[in-house]
Amino acid sequence: MSAATQYYIATIVVYICVNVIGAWGLDLQFGVTGVLNFAFILFQAAGAYTAAMLSLGPASASGGFQHYLVGFKLPFPLPLIGAMLVGGALSAVIGLITLRRLRSDYQAMVMLVISVVATVVAESVVGLANGSAGLSLIPNPAKSLTGLTLQTQNWLFVGLCVALMLIVGVLMYGLVYSPYGRVLRGVRENEAAVEAMGRSATRARLQVFIIGGALAALSGALLAQFIGAWAPSEWLYPETFVFFTAVIVGGRGSISGVAIGAALVAVGIQQAVQYMPIGSDPTLLAALEWIITGLLTLIFLWLRPQGLLPERRRRYLRRVKTGFAATKLQESAGT
Amino acid sequence: MSVSDAGEAPVFDSVSAGYGGHEVVHDVSLAVGQGQIACIVGPNGAGKSTLLRAITGDAQFLGGRVWLGGEEISRIPSNRLIKRGLAWVPQVDDVFTTLTVRENLELGGFLLPRKGVAARVDELLDTFPLLAGMTSRVAGRLSGGERKLLAIARALMPAPSALLLDEPTAGLSPEMTGLVLQNQIPRLSASGVAILLVEQRALEAIAVSSRVHVMVSGVIRASREAHEVTDWDELARVFLGEQ
Amino acid sequence: MAVFISAVGFGVVTAAILAISAVGFTLQFSVTNVFNLAFGSVMTLSGFVAYWLNHAGLNIWVAMAAAAVSGGLISLAINEAIYTPFIRHGLNLFGMVIVTISVAVIFDHGLQAAVGPTFFSYTAPAGKAFRFADFVLTRQELIIVGIAVLLTILVQVALQYTRVGKAMRGLAINASLARACGVPTRGVIALAWFVSGVLAGVGGVALFLDISTFTATTGSEFLIVIIAAAVLGGIGSPRGAVLGALVVGIVTEVGAAYWNAELKDVLAFGVLIAVLLVRPQGLFSRLATERAIAR
Repeated sequence: MSAATQYYIATIVVYICVNVIGAWGLDLQFGVTGVLNFAFILFQAAGAYTAAMLSLGPASASGGFQHYLVGFKLPFPLPLIGAMLVGGALSAVIGLITLRRLRSDYQAMVMLVISVVATVVAESVVGLANGSAGLSLIPNPAKSLTGLTLQTQNWLFVGLCVALMLIVGVLMYGLVYSPYGRVLRGVRENEAAVEAMGRSATRARLQVFIIGGALAALSGALLAQFIGAWAPSEWLYPETFVFFTAVIVGGRGSISGVAIGAALVAVGIQQAVQYMPIGSDPTLLAALEWIITGLLTLIFLWLRPQGLLPERRRRYLRRVKTGFAATKLQESAGT
Repeated sequence: MSVSDAGEAPVFDSVSAGYGGHEVVHDVSLAVGQGQIACIVGPNGAGKSTLLRAITGDAQFLGGRVWLGGEEISRIPSNRLIKRGLAWVPQVDDVFTTLTVRENLELGGFLLPRKGVAARVDELLDTFPLLAGMTSRVAGRLSGGERKLLAIARALMPAPSALLLDEPTAGLSPEMTGLVLQNQIPRLSASGVAILLVEQRALEAIAVSSRVHVMVSGVIRASREAHEVTDWDELARVFLGEQ
Repeated sequence: MAVFISAVGFGVVTAAILAISAVGFTLQFSVTNVFNLAFGSVMTLSGFVAYWLNHAGLNIWVAMAAAAVSGGLISLAINEAIYTPFIRHGLNLFGMVIVTISVAVIFDHGLQAAVGPTFFSYTAPAGKAFRFADFVLTRQELIIVGIAVLLTILVQVALQYTRVGKAMRGLAINASLARACGVPTRGVIALAWFVSGVLAGVGGVALFLDISTFTATTGSEFLIVIIAAAVLGGIGSPRGAVLGALVVGIVTEVGAAYWNAELKDVLAFGVLIAVLLVRPQGLFSRLATERAIAR
């Protein structure tokens, strides 16, 4: 296999892993619990910037050609862990402001506004993260291992991403199919019932907001380390919509479904347009990607709102439904 | 039951209704004479309100027919019912809370000729003097009783031939209940409006009605002329579901 | 002081553009409860209609009128062809938000694919400058402010005093009861979408005139500020939207004059978030739960 092909495959695998991890974070919030986080991309960006600043070293060290808030040179895996902590902490702050006080339709609007404000701030305050030029030369942890070929280093990073994706996947299954996961679905389906059981729906929302934010940050950190650069143009607010499409196409609340959705939407569409006979004008290709993403969302919401691989309903529930259908009828007659 | 006999008044012919395909009300037939009050009483959850809500499009109409003034009105869109002379007052959300009292009445007269609206508002303010002093107050700030009177006045704006009232005294103080049930509603029927009244307070409702229907579990268990209902023990037994 | 006054002058122009758009956004939202994130795309599309007419030789104000009509028609068409079918299909309100984003994305990028990523501008002279103390406004800016005042008053008067306006307010607060009064709800909803689109069209052309260059995504980028103004005033209240637009417009321009021009929007959003934390229902909406077109 030529080096170029190897690099191409490695890139695709990394992008899939990164997007799957991110989409799971949003799935936990939007798919499982029903929280509409329109600022999702902000948390991915927070992770990317944090990982960069925790591995770049002091800004002055590289000749001061780029400016940023703080710089440390920490060994793997500390930048990734730091990114998740910052993503979670930022989620906690924003979640405390929006989820606790505001009505749910206002929450969505305010998240959107926060996402836009964050981009404007990052672009204009150069000292924060080098303004609209963004950070570059972000170290890739695999490349600090000496004595290996460039290709081996690349594959090592691919291995890291796949391993992290698998770990996150196992944790997702554990979380979503636990009794706690049932509470989360309860918040989505019937908040009053959850509250009646003595659980706080707001607290549950805040918790998934934080966990999802940490996962978004992890995906951002890996992406920044792989590309080696991160700028505000990577995380404009419409990018959040790509993750929503991934969750809707894959199947809200379904872990394997969302993984497929993320691979298809975030990577598949972009690859597909490359092979379309429309030339190579980057603007046209990007526009086409967006149009396909939008159309795909509408088509799935209309024809298959449950997604490609729908969320599993526990089997006994179905039995209860049919077996007690008559009782149910009478109950509704009683109201 | 013959349609032509009923004149202007509404006739229900084996009506079934419910929610989401589940039948809650089964095969109900009844008629309200012009200028009369018929009441449907029954225990909580018997389906009384569902019957009314099926006519007004807030519940599913699952079978049967409803006639008004010799025309079938069962399946016409709810915003055309008032053109056929049918008005109603829902149990909750019965006024436009952010509009003033006058605006509520004006909106009630949406289908009246433009020139006639102001005069008709004045007529109704004469009928409901309590409202006359508060025409510019926002409806959401009225007391429960004032609000219910406004809701009834709003429904009467286009001078309907029939009026459906869904538990008009729910949540009202005893004095307001008295004013609405013993004073306003009989006066309306005296003016020729056919009134179908769904009530939780059975005894008070029967006292002002000409005909009483007892509904239990979605079925009319008994229908009597109101003055015949003297045997309270029988009524209690029907209420409890014993035939 | 001179800096402050001239900043307020700019702020009034920004507020005027914001007010036209925010009233359109909030009016439609209060009647239909659809949080229409494609509103910015309607602004852009009608802005381009005006651009093509303007470059075909039409006067910019005539082009603006044409943009208003086409904005109304586009808005109506989106509702009839996409939103209403999805609502009938049983999609909930949050699902509808995703639908409106999809529509915005498709429209913006479809337009971008058609016109390319370049910058466009109208050929319209700014006109003579008028001086009021330290306030300097061009003739063009004065006309925009005049149109904004006229349109917002027109909407307010129509809602307050006309039969269909009252029906619209009634429908916003209690659709079932509006039907009981005989209000043809479908028609009134269609009218709300049309009026909202007309205001989007006028707002779009006014915005593009004010910022002088625009692209296929300018309307959607500006939408966030419009939403900020509408939410600040109390979403669903046209009067609130006007006041919200004034606060946002003046705060951003004064902020730009004294602090940092690039961060002026941040200041407006900061005000928005601070206000929402104190008054979650917005500044001017008195009834938090029973919003709708309050007064």
